[in-house]
This record gives sequence, C-alpha cells and structure tokens, in this order.
Amino acid sequence: MARKFTKDQLDTKTVPELRGIARNLGCVGYSKKPKATVIDLILEKQGPVAASTAKAKAAPATKAKAAPAKKDATVSQAEFSLQSVLTKPSAKKGDKTTTTIRVSCGAAAGDFTVCGKTVGAVSEFLREVLNIDRMAQGVVNGNTVDGSYVLQDGDNLEFLKAAGRKG
Amino acid sequence: MNHPSELSIKVIGVGGIGTILADKLSRFLNYSNGVDTRITFVDGDTFEPKNRDRQEFVIAGGKKSLVKASEFQEKYSELNYSAFDEYVDPSNVGIFIKQGDIVFVCVDNHKTRKIISDFTKTLSDVVVISGGNEFTDGNVQIFVRREGRSLTPSLSDYHPEIEHPKDRTPGEMTCEELAQSEPQLFFTNLGVATYMCFAFYNTVVKNGPSYSEVYFDVLSMKADSKSRKPLNS
Repeated sequence: MARKFTKDQLDTKTVPELRGIARNLGCVGYSKKPKATVIDLILEKQGPVAASTAKAKAAPATKAKAAPAKKDATVSQAEFSLQSVLTKPSAKKGDKTTTTIRVSCGAAAGDFTVCGKTVGAVSEFLREVLNIDRMAQGVVNGNTVDGSYVLQDGDNLEFLKAAGRKG
Repeated sequence: MNHPSELSIKVIGVGGIGTILADKLSRFLNYSNGVDTRITFVDGDTFEPKNRDRQEFVIAGGKKSLVKASEFQEKYSELNYSAFDEYVDPSNVGIFIKQGDIVFVCVDNHKTRKIISDFTKTLSDVVVISGGNEFTDGNVQIFVRREGRSLTPSLSDYHPEIEHPKDRTPGEMTCEELAQSEPQLFFTNLGVATYMCFAFYNTVVKNGPSYSEVYFDVLSMKADSKSRKPLNS
C-alpha cells in the first residue's frame, strides 16, 4: 500500500526530497515550483490521509525531531523498512510491490525503500546496518555523487569502503 | 583458454596472499596446454618462522621471491619462473612491470599500491589484480587497460587511502618497524587469494572484466562485487 505523508511530515523535507516524492507519485509540473506548491501537489495527488494513518506516521517523525543526537537518527534495517515505504508510480491500485534501491558498503548490502531520499540521509539512517564510515563517499550507478543527490527508481547506491592494507 | 599464447605474470609481494595465489594459479596454468607462461616474483623480504601459520616455506631466512621461484619451478615444470629480490619503488617499478603484463599485487602497504597504480596508468595494455585484507575482511581490485583506455578504475580512483597513502614501503622502513607486523588470519589471506583467482579467470580467460572490485567478510560470510566507472581514462 502506498505511504501517505501528512503536511507536517512533508514540511520537514527538503525541496529535492519533495521533488523525488512528487516524481514517484506521478505528479506533473512540480519542477521549479516553490516548496509549498510541491507539498500541495503531493497532498492533492495522494488524496486524504486517514486519521489513524496520519497518527501512526506522525509518531516516528515527531520522535525523529525530538532526537538530539545523531546516533538516535540511526535505525535498524527492519525499523527503516517500516518507516519508509513508497509505491512505484507505475504500480496499479492495490499493488503491494514497493520500490527498493540496492544500497551497499563493502561486503554488506541490502534492498531498501529509500526512493526520494538523499544520499546523505540514507548514509545517516543505514550507518550501523551497513557499517558506513561517516566520511564515506556515495557512488550511484558507478558515478560519485554528493550527499544532496536524491535517489530515484533504478538507482544503485554504494558507500565506498577503504581497501584492505595487509597481504 | 581464450587468452593469448603467451602470458607474462608478475606477482608482487610473496607473503600470506602471494604464496597461496601463486601456487593455485600455477597449478591452473601448468595444465593449460599451449600457453607459454612466465611467472616473476618480486619481493625483497625473507621468510620468518613467525609467519608459518600463514605462509608455506621450507627455508627460514631465505629470500621469499627466490625461494618460491625455485620451489615452483620444480613443482610446475611446464611454466617458467624468475625472481627479483627487491621491494618495488618509483625507480624500479618500470623494470618489474612491462606492457601487456598481468600484475598481481599482494603487498601489505598502500604506498606500494600507489606506486604501481601510478605506473600502470601510463601503460596502454595491462591487467592489475590487487588484493588486501584486514583481520577478517578483504577486497580485490581489478584495473584493466586495453589500447590506451582504462576499462575499470585504477587502484587509487575510488580509494583516497591509496591515492594519499599514510604508510611507507618496506624499503623505507627500519628493521624494527618491519619486525612489528600486525597479526593476520590465514583464512582471510586465503579468501583474498581465491577472489584474485576468480578475477584472473573472469578478466583474462573469459575476457572480462564484468566488475571492478569485490569485498568479502569472513565473519558475516558475505561478499559483494562492484562495477564502477574509471575517473580518468
């Protein structure tokens, strides 16, 4: 089932993140629009948010806001998957297929629902799961990117790991 | 086999990884008919009894490169072996590595990897397969240049720790420093040597490469290969 964002949740996101969400929802005319307009387009496209859903979704966001230390922003793989679910734009109504992106660091790898998120945010969230170094460079589809890059359907994200020294 | 009728292989570093790799590679090539193969060992180090848990040798104190060249020549009579009992440095790297070589880098420092990376980027045809490890994890990089183009990233392209090494080559270290080596696990050396053999088969025999680096972890028993683009071809 497609995740529905509340206005409060969308307000906390950056414009590139919002554009990623808008793209995944199949919105049109969102590029070069101000943040408020993009949020309105997303809310209009996804339809009304049920009260119980809104409450359930709002809880982790509130918790994340309240978390002062960076370590608290790091979540387990299972928690992260639960918090972030986006449905493919092409998915039919009721289709439970979700868009996942392969994220890896060294030998550790997994498929995560991080479409629409920035590389910097993914690095923070998955640091402990994939043992990502704080200074690790992101590489998307074989090309280096900076932390503001917004992940899209079909991307493959790698965080570089240092080479072994001994032999 | 798909590769040319002649192979010039250089094994730089004859330690925990290099001794395993050279033996398995030699066995494979010794029984591949019609391939005129020369394997050259490059290492200035000597065998020490403290490394017996990871390195197989019969003469303690012997120069690793010379001992292994002699030992393998008896064991694998179809192949030709030679040796340089010196460490690689910027002044001699051009003597050890030539156009068209297949270079296995099995050293224990990033400074030497950097020297080899910089030099091989200037060659038009070369295959470099470099392995390294920490205690329970390791990686193998595959750098291929054909007709003056890099098909995969160089050893330092995505590795700032190799591009700007903080360590030194064995030739720059004192005897005391050389004696203080960090502990290593035989199984991790074995894993690196195995993936270097995979890389050789994939790149030279099957005319790849289909990936540029692989990482593995002994404790999680996971491995993952990467396909990255060269930064400068």
